[in-house]
Amino acid sequence: MIDVAFDRVSKRYRVRQSAASGGGLHDFWAVRDVSFDVARGEAFGLVGHNGAGKSTILKMLSQITTPTQGEIRLAGRVAALIEVGSGFHPELTGRENVYLSGSILGMRRREIQAKFDRIVEFSGVGQFIDTPVKWYSSGMYVRLGFAVAAHLDPDILLVDEVLAVGDAAFQVQCIERLNELRRAGMTMLFISHDLLSIERLCDRVAIVEKGRLVAHGSPHEIVAAYQQMTATSHVAAMADANAPSPDAAARVEGVTFHDENASEVLTANTGEPLVARVHYMVQRAVRDAVVEVFYYSRDGRVLHCQQSTAVAGGELTLLPGRGAVEFSMPGLGLQPGVYAIGATIRERSASETIDWWYGRTALCVEPGRAVRGYFYTPHDWRLVVEHGQGGSSLQRS
Amino acid sequence: MGTRSRAIVIRPADLAWVNVAAHLRRLTEYGDLLRTLSVHRINVRYRQTLLGIGWAVLQPLLMMAIFAVVFSRLARIPSEGAPYALFAYVALLPWTFFATSVTNATGSLVNNTQLLTKVYFPREILPLTYVVAALFDFTIGLGALGGLMAWFRVPLTAAALYLIPLIALLALWAFAVSLLLSAVQVRWRDIGVALPMLVQIWMFISPVIYPLDVVPANWRPLYLLNPVAGIINAFRDVLLRGQSPQMVPLIYAFAVTAIALPVAYVVFKQTEATMADIV
Repeated sequence: MIDVAFDRVSKRYRVRQSAASGGGLHDFWAVRDVSFDVARGEAFGLVGHNGAGKSTILKMLSQITTPTQGEIRLAGRVAALIEVGSGFHPELTGRENVYLSGSILGMRRREIQAKFDRIVEFSGVGQFIDTPVKWYSSGMYVRLGFAVAAHLDPDILLVDEVLAVGDAAFQVQCIERLNELRRAGMTMLFISHDLLSIERLCDRVAIVEKGRLVAHGSPHEIVAAYQQMTATSHVAAMADANAPSPDAAARVEGVTFHDENASEVLTANTGEPLVARVHYMVQRAVRDAVVEVFYYSRDGRVLHCQQSTAVAGGELTLLPGRGAVEFSMPGLGLQPGVYAIGATIRERSASETIDWWYGRTALCVEPGRAVRGYFYTPHDWRLVVEHGQGGSSLQRS
Repeated sequence: MGTRSRAIVIRPADLAWVNVAAHLRRLTEYGDLLRTLSVHRINVRYRQTLLGIGWAVLQPLLMMAIFAVVFSRLARIPSEGAPYALFAYVALLPWTFFATSVTNATGSLVNNTQLLTKVYFPREILPLTYVVAALFDFTIGLGALGGLMAWFRVPLTAAALYLIPLIALLALWAFAVSLLLSAVQVRWRDIGVALPMLVQIWMFISPVIYPLDVVPANWRPLYLLNPVAGIINAFRDVLLRGQSPQMVPLIYAFAVTAIALPVAYVVFKQTEATMADIV
């Protein structure tokens, strides 16, 4: 029994160009020729970068917008667990907003009445339910919004990036609720950047790339494939923004990663040896140079780690020609995930960087010896027995 | 799980009149949302105001007072024998309903972008709730009319029962205009900018300040293409004179509404298909 059938669906947007680039309309295919089926009771996940077309697929499914070509068949009532607090009005009380938001999300009045107590209990705002929501803290607001949405009872549930709400305890509560609905046999479609949740919650996952469905299969397989893809292509788009000036004294040409045997790798394992190579091209000699590698979060917002020639070793002089600076790590400290890589060349004394290179490569780190906490440090251990009963007092594994 | 009533097929939008029946069936499934949202409009409108629901009465009353001074005392506009204040109020009541509905409903889509891009429901519910909310104000204003008629000693007759079909017709016409303007507003915000002026002009081409009789006979057919004209005239017939309404202006009003509403609905539904993309 198929609950959701996408049959060669395409969606075109007409984008108005600015007068500077010629004006007029040009076509942009957000979704191109996408076909897939979701069986009754199945949890289907879609992963893809921002702008890959996931949200457009979801919007067509929830009938917010219509396809340009193709056909979508749905065997039942659809509801979307979307951005919470949809339709909340600040002047109304929590109680009034539950009814308002519930009916906007597609619940009947009687249905809301029946579920009201459970919704309030789930949200944990209990005693403030008759207070206008404008007095709520943002946490309470979000929790109440999600509580309403989490009690939708459709045949097919669409879930879009909602798992990132509230504090950790509330997130666990949300995941539990989704699992509960899933066990009850609800057909679900997930869209998320959060690969971990996708892997845990879905039976089947597909990758959306540039509006097309490029792969689908088991969650584990697809999440791994997606991380690989991300490692090679995702950040390429950002790279063009910082093309180097042609007359710079030195340029970073790229960063590559290598294993112990010096063969190039795209993925690495936490805790295992890794070598990062910064390839440079020098036009004019750079005295007292500093070369550095940066490991950013995938979105480039958080710097997780840095390696620098300035903190160890002697003075570095780069002479004209091509070459590479190698940073070797006995045990990679980064936790599993995808990191955007940056590298710079500068003179220690100068304030300006000679070349800044960013985002044309990414490093995908797999669990390996991953530990709990923020990072791994290479470590060894031994047993020390204070009151030895003979034999050796030191034991090593 | 809900009962799996029927399968839904989503296809590219096409201009098919046969879809109207399906759209209307869909609309009835969302009756609860229409009710909840309409009550919400009424609730929110006067919240944290000092006079609260009193505004629903005060608005037409204040207009009436101003009109009575300016148009009756200063401009000496005829009022067909009735006290001018009452003559004006009887027209201001339906007019305020119409103007409020259209003004609020026109922005109903662009002011709810949040909802349009996130949740599906039949979009006509948004403008419709403003018409329903205005209808509520109208009912309150009707109470004040009773008081005024008693004050001016104008007897209420059985002809007042005509008000029910009259207001229904006006509501349908207001809904048609709201559908059309709100849909156009999604693409061209000019509507919103021009709206206050449009409403002003519309009042002057409706018999609010003056009686229908002063409109020259050869202009009458054109004038009556505005359904508001025929309906306001009928309000005066049934309330001030206590007689059945003149039929010819009402037939115009009915015919125009009967044509405009389906057209507006189809145009609206056509826009709905891509509304979330352009809003």
